[in-house]
Amino acid sequence: MSQTKMPSARQRRLRSWLFWAVPAVLLLLPLATNPYTQFIANGILISVLVTLGFTLVIGNLGQLAFANTAFFGIGAYASAILAAKLGVPWLLTIPLAGAFGALGGFLASSAALRGIRSYYLAIITLAFGELMRWAYLHAKPVTGGTDGMPMPRETLLGTSLSDDTLKFYIFLAVTVLLVKATLNLMRSRFGRAVMAVRENEVATASLAIPTARVILVTFMWSGFVVGCAGALFARHVGHVFPESFGMLHLIASFAMVLVGGLGSVLGAVLGAVLLTALPEYLRAFPGMEELFFGLIVAGVLVAMPMGLASLLRRVSPIFVERFYREAP
Amino acid sequence: MKTFASLLAAFAVSASPLLAQDDAWETQGLTDDAITIGVMGPFSGNASSYSKALIGMMAYYDKVNAEGGVHGRQLVAVQEDTACDSAKGLAAAKKLISQDEVFMLQGNSCSGVAVALRPTIEEAGLPWIVAHAVSDSISDPLAANIFHGVPTGRANGRAMAQFVLSKPDTTNVAIIEHSNDWAHSYSNPARDYLEEQGVTPSLELTMERGQTDATAQVLKLRQEQPDFIIAALYEAETAIFLRDLKKYGMGDIPVMGTAGTDLENTLKRTGDFDTVKNYYVIHSYVDNLDGPLMQPWGDMIHEYYPEEELSTFSFVSIGSAEALVAALEAVGPELTRSKLMAALEEVRDFDTGILSDPITWTPEDHQGVKGSAVAGFVDGEPTVLKAWGQPY
Repeated sequence: MSQTKMPSARQRRLRSWLFWAVPAVLLLLPLATNPYTQFIANGILISVLVTLGFTLVIGNLGQLAFANTAFFGIGAYASAILAAKLGVPWLLTIPLAGAFGALGGFLASSAALRGIRSYYLAIITLAFGELMRWAYLHAKPVTGGTDGMPMPRETLLGTSLSDDTLKFYIFLAVTVLLVKATLNLMRSRFGRAVMAVRENEVATASLAIPTARVILVTFMWSGFVVGCAGALFARHVGHVFPESFGMLHLIASFAMVLVGGLGSVLGAVLGAVLLTALPEYLRAFPGMEELFFGLIVAGVLVAMPMGLASLLRRVSPIFVERFYREAP
Repeated sequence: MKTFASLLAAFAVSASPLLAQDDAWETQGLTDDAITIGVMGPFSGNASSYSKALIGMMAYYDKVNAEGGVHGRQLVAVQEDTACDSAKGLAAAKKLISQDEVFMLQGNSCSGVAVALRPTIEEAGLPWIVAHAVSDSISDPLAANIFHGVPTGRANGRAMAQFVLSKPDTTNVAIIEHSNDWAHSYSNPARDYLEEQGVTPSLELTMERGQTDATAQVLKLRQEQPDFIIAALYEAETAIFLRDLKKYGMGDIPVMGTAGTDLENTLKRTGDFDTVKNYYVIHSYVDNLDGPLMQPWGDMIHEYYPEEELSTFSFVSIGSAEALVAALEAVGPELTRSKLMAALEEVRDFDTGILSDPITWTPEDHQGVKGSAVAGFVDGEPTVLKAWGQPY
């Protein structure tokens, strides 16, 4: 039985206030950064969205699906192709990339909807990711093949979009919006249905909850969030290459989900911040970076199997998420 | 008039911080006794073996430092890992430029990363000498601060075709390649050169990666009986192709391969000298790796990196490091970034003593190395060649 104390009404109000206070403080971050640290901060925001989308499917919905990197690549390429080939302003490509990511989610969910589960679903969704990477490599007229797809130079309100500070504000706005939307979604009746599917799909169906629709929409929302992150990534690096969407990216994202806490939005944020910033701090130890990274990930998971979010839950009920699984 | 003078004075005062900023930028990363150079490479990850390509350059810096530096300044390398990943490479570049505030950049393996870095480094404006990555897109179109110090893909492709046509009476040339960009980066410039010389490839074939049999391709070639075959294939597939070529009695047709294959490694793969006796590969150096002309460079690397196991990669960045030092010497003690870039653009026919072709940088063209030598077996010995039958 869960011993977790739920937050009081006052604590919920404080939590709501905190949600807006953190990004408000972050607005001041560019005053304390240089182009390098700003670039890392921008990367962290992208990782937050990627991890958020991932944890929705494997943590909240409980499906062992690994199509996350495919959604990310689809979003990045959609943004780059729309901007470079069709002249669509990059800002507009963000929701469009999200829509393409959602389409990817629709395709990935088709396996789950056919009753494929567990390791079989994992293999099929992994194959989907590799298939997408094959497409990026070989659809050269559209994707640029191994040469990749450069983002066109663009300005917004007279400032170049290569400016990391301007990008930060855009990335921050998109991240806050999508995190808030996801939190709202998971606190809704639909969110409770997602949790019910995770706990027992047959029992959920017996309550007249359309489990197929729940699975489909969760995959599509995950694809939308990660697709938007892909559009941000395309502008972040300025040139989209197939190598960016391989197995290494998937493993890094999975580590972020686990370290943060499976199925926790707060955990997605914490995992993304820690595991995106950490390799940069480890630059000072050439050759030891991978070792330290592995040790820290293993250390966190051994000490806190439910991730960093579980630590905060113990500190204060403010950090308790209703849709967060209590025990593995 | 008085008002105008006041305005002029006010402008001068207000502009002085800007001018000071320019002066500061010109000498950023420079002290009386050190020049800091940002060196980016894949020191971790799947492609970390490419970081060997920066060893020669680092050893050359050490040698110069041991001899007193350049105008009393030591060359201080600040290394950053790109992991052959564009996002990580961008972070490395931004760190070197804005946090470490290096004077210039030199290095970079992994063409994809270097291409992704180009806009950031071009905008930053500091000198960048590319010492390993070969993609033409890094330095073409021209960027004022980006200099390519190794033969690009285009230079290598053209060198392949030049060698093929240097064989007397060669008019019938066939091409076999993988259907990927790596292969096209060699075959397309080679094809262009052939067309310029009035030779249209008589047969164009593909052999996919991982293919373990080339019988179909070889049978087509047997019908055509070309004078020379250009093979843009990876080493494993090259060995299979050469094996099948010999099997069907066509082992006497010379085959021209890319820099992605090594002559002696290909011999090891086939295990049969007759199979590779007519195989030639692009070779960017003046001698075989164990030849007398390369010996001093190998000794230099081992002096500073005793554990280094020498390979083709170990030497590739030395030539551009030499050209840099020559330009730094030419500028004199009053060094600035603009003066260095101007001096680099004055480098003409610079004989590095290690690269087979000289380095020339002009204001109109920063792709410094325009050709490559070729290595092949002559009288059973691996030999570096300028052209067909002409030892280097």
